[in-house]
Amino acid sequence: MMMAEILSTTAAEDNLLRLERIDKRYGEQWVLRGISLGIPRGQFCVILGPSGAGKSTLLRMVNGLAEPDTGIVYVGGERVDNTNLARIRAGIGMIHQHFNLVTRASVATNLLAGALPKVALWRALLLWFPALYRRRACELAAAVGLNAAQLGRRVSALSGGQQQRVGIARAFMLEPSIILADEPVASLDPKISRDILRLLHSESRRRGTTVLCTLHQVDLAREFADRIVAVRAGEIVFDGPPACFDETFARRVYGDPAGAHLPDATDELRVGESLSCP
Amino acid sequence: MSMITSDGTTSDGLAVHCENPERQPDSNPAEAWRIDPPYTLRSVALVLVVFALLWLTGSRVQMDRLAALTGEGFAVALGLRESSQVSAGAARIAGELFPMQISERREVARIENFDRNHLPWFSHIETEQTRERRLNPTTLVMEETTQEREYLVEPLGYLGHVALKMVETLEIALWGTLLAMLLSVPLAFCSARNYTPNRAIYFAARSLVSFFRAVPELVSALFLVVLYGFGPIAGVAALALHAAGFLGKFYGEDIENADNGPQEALRAIGAGRIKVLCFAVLPQVFPQYIAYTFYVLDRNVRMATVIGLVGAGGIGQELKGRYDMYNYGHVATILLAIFITVMLLDQLAARMRRRFL
Repeated sequence: MMMAEILSTTAAEDNLLRLERIDKRYGEQWVLRGISLGIPRGQFCVILGPSGAGKSTLLRMVNGLAEPDTGIVYVGGERVDNTNLARIRAGIGMIHQHFNLVTRASVATNLLAGALPKVALWRALLLWFPALYRRRACELAAAVGLNAAQLGRRVSALSGGQQQRVGIARAFMLEPSIILADEPVASLDPKISRDILRLLHSESRRRGTTVLCTLHQVDLAREFADRIVAVRAGEIVFDGPPACFDETFARRVYGDPAGAHLPDATDELRVGESLSCP
Repeated sequence: MSMITSDGTTSDGLAVHCENPERQPDSNPAEAWRIDPPYTLRSVALVLVVFALLWLTGSRVQMDRLAALTGEGFAVALGLRESSQVSAGAARIAGELFPMQISERREVARIENFDRNHLPWFSHIETEQTRERRLNPTTLVMEETTQEREYLVEPLGYLGHVALKMVETLEIALWGTLLAMLLSVPLAFCSARNYTPNRAIYFAARSLVSFFRAVPELVSALFLVVLYGFGPIAGVAALALHAAGFLGKFYGEDIENADNGPQEALRAIGAGRIKVLCFAVLPQVFPQYIAYTFYVLDRNVRMATVIGLVGAGGIGQELKGRYDMYNYGHVATILLAIFITVMLLDQLAARMRRRFL
């Protein structure tokens, strides 16, 4: 099975994305604590956890929007630092919770903006984008289910779900090997959320894109993930295929108010982590 | 977000997360609640202090005399009084301003290259006979002589002249605004905290912006006339510097306050500063930019009429000249022209704003 194949390639060298012993804290507050994680090429990995668990910070460390206090991030075997950050970023698409589109600009402009790192400055300033990107913007708009009339329309004229479709298309503009999706459906209603995740899932499968996606809805994570990494209070409390992430685990990730029975809960979950899935 | 969380998870029965831990039963019964009146004795005292201060400053700037003199003026207007300083002054001004000067009358002898066969449109020649007593040098007797002088009369000549000057004024305002926009772009970029290259440049840009705004157009025009001579150059430069200070400040603050989301989205994929500015900030701040720029254009037209007073071109220069020569009829025409222009511009600006914003 495909899923089993993806999960079996856990050797460190095969991982497209690797985080090693990441620590991060704001003042006294630990955000992330000793996180190590490897993501193989082509995997759709969901980072699951309640609000404030640190999953968004974890995601943003991959493209340098957040910096770890200690620990190393590798992308494609290359250690991320200030010298190669711009180049690495151009190979990583990102989808945001609040879409982060320029609502006054047209859909087309927003899509083309997704190609900016690879477009010469003078071309960008004159809005004279290469034909390659203009064609790709059209193809992607069609692929995410927008129509030709909507290309010229302002983003503010679209519904939330349609706006996130634009966000997804924009993320694919430079054919990235990795897509980071930071709570891509948190601002959408449940039905649209499912449609949007289905779109992201199928598009990334079709292009072989690795996806790291934070979510807080367990049902959606189970439906679309190849692998679930559950985070609670800055620590990984579950890492495995969705089939193993049953209600007991879900309750343990979300159930108790933060901090109350944390040591017990994590201890139990550590045991759970070693469980192998049939 | 939290609502979706609890909805989404509870519908599957997976989480027990719907109870808000912060929602506790009220320990405070409703009988103990109260709604305070909107002001207290202290605020009343504060208002009284403010009134006392206003009274003090008001008497220093002679507000009491303002009221008294204006009241007398109204009393005269209503026929309750014989005379007052204000109404006498108003009557004198009105008497001198009207009738307004509309025609232009020039002595033919003083017009260079005068061609009798090709008169300007709608103009005619008037002949005027004047009697003068003169000493005849041969007889040494005072004689009465008749002299004939010809005048070229253009019935709407002065109006045309004022219109041309007004056009020049508008051109000064337009170019002052255009140069200000150009100047303010780098100033705004450097004085926006999140885009400035470094702190030194930030402070330099900030100081320059404040300096430009601190120097009024009339004052900088005085100096610029020394630098560039009388005429429109000094006017354009004076307007541009002041407006650049204004636009630099407001453009810069808008850049700082623009929604960070779209900017982060472009930074996240590795787009450079200038690209982020052009694609994530400019579209957001564009409507405000248009509004500020129209305001500056509007203000510059009004200021362009004033800075002519110090010789920086435009209709102000004409106004000053006529005023100094006691040609109050001409002054009235100029004032009317300025009023009409400002009013038309207001209409135009309102229409443009409706269209673009």
